[in-house]
Amino acid sequence: MTAASVTTRAGALGRWSWLRRPRMAGSPAVLPSMLGLPVLIWQAVFFAAPLVFLVVVTFWQVKAFRLEPAFVLDNWSRILFSATFQRALAHTFAVAGTTTVLAVAIAFPAAYTIAFRLSPRLRDLAVAALVVPVFSSYMLRIYAWQIVLSPEGITNALLGGIGIDPLPLLGGAFSLQVGLLTLTLPIAVLILVFAMAGIDRTLVEAAENLGCRRARVVAHVIVPSLRPAIALTATTSFLLAFGDYISPLFMTGSKPPTLSILIVDTVKSGSQWPRASVIGVSMLVMLALVLGLGQSLSRGRAARREAAR
Amino acid sequence: MNRVLATRLSRLAQYGFLSLLFGFIATPMLVIVVFSFDANRFPTIPWGGFSLQWHRAILDDPMIRNAFLNSMLVGLGTAVLSTVLGFAAAYIDFRYRFRLKLPFVLLVAVPPAVPATILGMAMLAFLSRIGLFGRLETVMACHVAIATSFAMAIIRLRLNDLSRDLEPAAWNLGASPAAALIHVVLPFCKPALVASFFLSAAVSFDEFLIAWFVGGVHETLPVRILNLLQGQVNPKINAIGTVVLVISVALVLIAQRFTGVRAGRRPTPEGE
Repeated sequence: MTAASVTTRAGALGRWSWLRRPRMAGSPAVLPSMLGLPVLIWQAVFFAAPLVFLVVVTFWQVKAFRLEPAFVLDNWSRILFSATFQRALAHTFAVAGTTTVLAVAIAFPAAYTIAFRLSPRLRDLAVAALVVPVFSSYMLRIYAWQIVLSPEGITNALLGGIGIDPLPLLGGAFSLQVGLLTLTLPIAVLILVFAMAGIDRTLVEAAENLGCRRARVVAHVIVPSLRPAIALTATTSFLLAFGDYISPLFMTGSKPPTLSILIVDTVKSGSQWPRASVIGVSMLVMLALVLGLGQSLSRGRAARREAAR
Repeated sequence: MNRVLATRLSRLAQYGFLSLLFGFIATPMLVIVVFSFDANRFPTIPWGGFSLQWHRAILDDPMIRNAFLNSMLVGLGTAVLSTVLGFAAAYIDFRYRFRLKLPFVLLVAVPPAVPATILGMAMLAFLSRIGLFGRLETVMACHVAIATSFAMAIIRLRLNDLSRDLEPAAWNLGASPAAALIHVVLPFCKPALVASFFLSAAVSFDEFLIAWFVGGVHETLPVRILNLLQGQVNPKINAIGTVVLVISVALVLIAQRFTGVRAGRRPTPEGE
């Protein structure tokens, strides 16, 4: 009894204990700072500082191939008003938007089958099979698609076998989407599977008991409770496709260039760091806007549902 | 009867669709492995017969051997450091409350969400100015900045299952916060630590853009592949690809084995 009460009291204290009890380590903030400072410094030097510097560089000048501190808006105006940048921007948005729609449309039914139709054991296996490609060898898989889709490649050899002329599969919008879906689909399916597995099954059963057919259950119970997850899937797919460098490079030969291609080309051609940085910072701003939009879409709807209750 | 048939057809369509999806995901990996054993120079159908010549060729290529060694070093360093930093970040998020906690957590969590092209360029621009360009250690340091996010996520998930009273109990029994951390929290997190070690290694082993930007002449294996890919068709690529694929798949599978993350709580009592 006494032991229990002691633990309970300490439990209440626990969260704040570093504020209150001086320990042998000296000041109570020693442990958290010893743990936190290395993380803070590491992420500041190798992540935050580079990004801040990227913003700073957009205002610098290149003189005689050397980067010099300055404060000019020339880089911004040159890039933002250049036709190349605007075309690449429109192209990148169109490509990433297409990938997003395709990824959600393909991932949703697949995730549904995994979450609701497979046995727990098969479901774990499916999840494992989806996690592996998220973390492995994206570049190699794009190279493999090149082998599969190239003019003398596997697909055309197979098609030739049944008397169909070679198709120009590589180097267009089709192959680009194949590449980007290779990147986005596994993670899109994973997000939706985890979200669907978290759906309250009693809701689904209640709808079924009330006589709903499966299609109505999907439309009226499953989709509404998945809105945040669908928004997350869409924004994640967009983010990945928008910033990708490998698929545009190898699946279309950089023609037309996406923004990522443009960045690398700008860096390569005569150390135009400030202009490449302008493109990079603009991309980050646009991604932040898209993420914000996704957030507000999922949250706005959740709030409305809350209000309707 | 009609309805039963409709259900059957719908199930069949669902399974068929799912098989297509997994076919799409598996095809490129299979192509790499299968054609690495192909005797032909250019990988296509028909298969040119079984051969180990490309696997032998990569063993004889000093640049590839060197790149492999670099990747191993960078991956190992990243795995150790990310796990340590990820644990620290996850524990701080779990145990303490402070005013700037959200920015702190975001600083660790966000890096993988920034496109690697932009991040790589930014790291190159900044790190070359402070004299860190072109070192293997720099590649590792940058990989740590990304992989720590995954390590933190895995360990934080495990800490969710740690009873909030366990540490206070240890303190009451006279353990210092540091002792409680080492003797109570760390052992509890062990599976997650193992998982994040292997996952961080996989993240580093797979990363090429940042390594390409900041590595200078020090190529990791994926950078070597990227440089080979930009040249002519080279049958060695499939062979290196197979090696890389086997290693990274193994790393991810080991990591997964230790996370214990499952899609959904099982209704049956055998589940957790």
